Amino acid sequence: MVKFLSEEWLEQCKKYMHEKLDPEKDLKNVTTSLLGVVEHIPPDDSTMNFYLNIDNGNLIDFIVSSGSTYEKEATFVITGSYGTFRSILKGELNMTIALLKNRLKLKGNKIKALRLMKPLDGVIASLREVTDEFEE
Amino acid sequence: MRQDKVLALSKTSLEDALEIAKKGTHCGMCRFDFLDTGLCPSGNKYGFLAYWPQGRMQIFKNLRLDKVKPTEKLIEITDSCSLCGICDKQCNFATQLRPEKVAKALKDFTKSLDKNDFQKTPEDENLKGLRNIIGDKWATNDPIIISSYISSIISPEAGLNFYIVMPKDAEELSKVIKFANTNNLPFLPRSGGTLLSMAAPTVLSKAFGLEQGIVIDLLRMKKLEIDSNTHTATVGAGITAFDLQKEAHKHNLRANVAEAGAHICSNIASTGILSTWGNKYGWSADNFIDLETVDDTGKISRHSDLEIKNPYTTEYGFTNISLTPPAIVTQATVRLNPVFDDEEAVFVPFENIKDALNLSFKIAKRGIGFSNVILSRKYLAEFISPTPRIAEDFEFILEKYMKLNYVVDIICNKDEKKIIESMVDYTIDKTTLKSLILGCPKLATLKDSEFMKILSEEKDPLKAIFAGPMKKHFEKALDATPENISKIYDKDLQEFFKKVYSKPKMTDIVWLHEHRIFPSRLMRQRMFLPMGGVIWTAYEKNLFDWIKMFEEVGEKHKLIHALGFISPFDQGRFAVLEYDFYYDHNDSDAKNRVDKAIIESQEKSLEIDGILSALNFYFKGLYRKEHILFPIAKAISKEDQELFRELLKNIIGDG
Repeated sequence: MVKFLSEEWLEQCKKYMHEKLDPEKDLKNVTTSLLGVVEHIPPDDSTMNFYLNIDNGNLIDFIVSSGSTYEKEATFVITGSYGTFRSILKGELNMTIALLKNRLKLKGNKIKALRLMKPLDGVIASLREVTDEFEE
Repeated sequence: MRQDKVLALSKTSLEDALEIAKKGTHCGMCRFDFLDTGLCPSGNKYGFLAYWPQGRMQIFKNLRLDKVKPTEKLIEITDSCSLCGICDKQCNFATQLRPEKVAKALKDFTKSLDKNDFQKTPEDENLKGLRNIIGDKWATNDPIIISSYISSIISPEAGLNFYIVMPKDAEELSKVIKFANTNNLPFLPRSGGTLLSMAAPTVLSKAFGLEQGIVIDLLRMKKLEIDSNTHTATVGAGITAFDLQKEAHKHNLRANVAEAGAHICSNIASTGILSTWGNKYGWSADNFIDLETVDDTGKISRHSDLEIKNPYTTEYGFTNISLTPPAIVTQATVRLNPVFDDEEAVFVPFENIKDALNLSFKIAKRGIGFSNVILSRKYLAEFISPTPRIAEDFEFILEKYMKLNYVVDIICNKDEKKIIESMVDYTIDKTTLKSLILGCPKLATLKDSEFMKILSEEKDPLKAIFAGPMKKHFEKALDATPENISKIYDKDLQEFFKKVYSKPKMTDIVWLHEHRIFPSRLMRQRMFLPMGGVIWTAYEKNLFDWIKMFEEVGEKHKLIHALGFISPFDQGRFAVLEYDFYYDHNDSDAKNRVDKAIIESQEKSLEIDGILSALNFYFKGLYRKEHILFPIAKAISKEDQELFRELLKNIIGDG
């Protein structure tokens, strides 16, 4: 069982993305960085973040840390509740709808972010494949 | 369940009731007192949708279609209905349905059930928390109550993993939202539910509905205060357009409102109150003086607070789509406008849209009139006609014999009326309008008459019938009396409707425009999906292309489709257009076709200069119209079309 945001989760995700995602086909050679801020994490209502850095379709950094900020600046910051990320990773909610329903808050250029959705689909699919346990 | 008892129930009554229930469209006309009948006592007392006629219809449908299992609440819900018949009167006026038959069938069905078969719904930790905030009575996880919200905020495919709460004020709502966030429960507010119910049968269902979590029903927020000195009203989120207008009228004032059942606060947040009075009274942030809102963190703010982020601005561009309001409006202080003694309606009939637009826009640019709209013959027929059948025949006559395809419909004062009359050859006068309202059943019977054939051979049938020699004969032929129109209703309701139509307000065009009790007839027994949006009048030529595009899409997908209305705003600077696709919401093939039409027309709208499509102004009503509309939208590039297509696919799927 791999729990969302755990050390094991991070390692498995990296491994999966390195092994299974093709930089050109799956990630469209995208270059971007994204900070995902996860709020209201049970059981103690804490906040964590994950930082993703992709260069030309290759995963460079994938780091999980506590709090709402990370030392490196990201092109996009998306903030949402643990429940929203859980729904996305369970495939119950897609990222675009979550953005348009205001369940995910975006800092950064919206058009550019929406253009990223397709390449990021591969990343989300990887996370979805790997993650099978959540705090309830 | 005691099958023998179920079987013993009249099969016909159950089947009839199911047919009625299926035709329900959640128009919400049973939740406010628009015919002076009083309100449904049960709904008024218990609040949740399950206790209102529309909710009972939904529950009955869900039970019969095995979407929900009975719970003990069902007994309370059915016992609370005294079969007083108010719902039959209200619903029959709007939709021609008899919800009391469904309520009766639901009672009988419930009595036939074995209590041992009732599903138990224990209180869980989330419900306990919610009840601690708003009290036991106003929070529930009962599947029967939840199921009454299906198709008006809960997608039919979403299941029943919900809580329903009814906070009484902003403070309670704030606590509910904070609780929801801490416990990772999504939430969505519900007011009249009409916009959500129009989306529910379509691909828009997932985009606008809630997949699980907390439905926040705002009906209990019933504050309504008129200040006749400042010409303002303060309304809570549970107040409908009709409630406010009725109260304002007592002070000789008028509010700018959407259709009668729309709740003022949520309508401000959703579409910014689009009405035919917009050219004079404004749109979006023009409508209110102050708002009390609760945001998605539970923070309560007022627009008048000194230290808040600019609440009137929104990002610009075709990707600026919102599927939820930026905040829940719990209270609004809205502008009211004076009502003058010499106000009148001027109706100018037209065969073609170009002439109608020319007049409507000219009047708007000169700032004449309070209300200004071009109604299509479809709307005119649907609004006036008391039954779908009469509407169909009426529309046929308007098109085939009278050549009346559009009417420029203006409410103005006496002096302005003279100006308009000087601009046109003829108008439809007050007496004829009254005759059309009361005489439409008779008019429908003239479908194959000699009179209509003679009329159609006239060079200008409109002039002949409204200002020529045939006017007198026409009015006589309509035999327009309250007694005659009441005859189209079921026998037991005829006396009631005779009294209703005897009231002067029921044929007073100004009153009808203000109180907007007719538009719900567009969704009687079948659904419609309004498309369209805003167009700059400087791009008038594109307006015709836009209408043509909708026509072609409607034809391609074999839908009943028609222009609804075009109304100028902001001294004719821009106009709002509504084009509707009509369909049977119980027919899956029709739903698929309307889905395709939504996607296709939405995409094509963005290929035309000067247009902001409806999807781009939903939930923008809190902002200044200038921030929503400026600069003029241009047709998007091929690259952006791709992106928009992708966006639509993500929001609503492939159709």
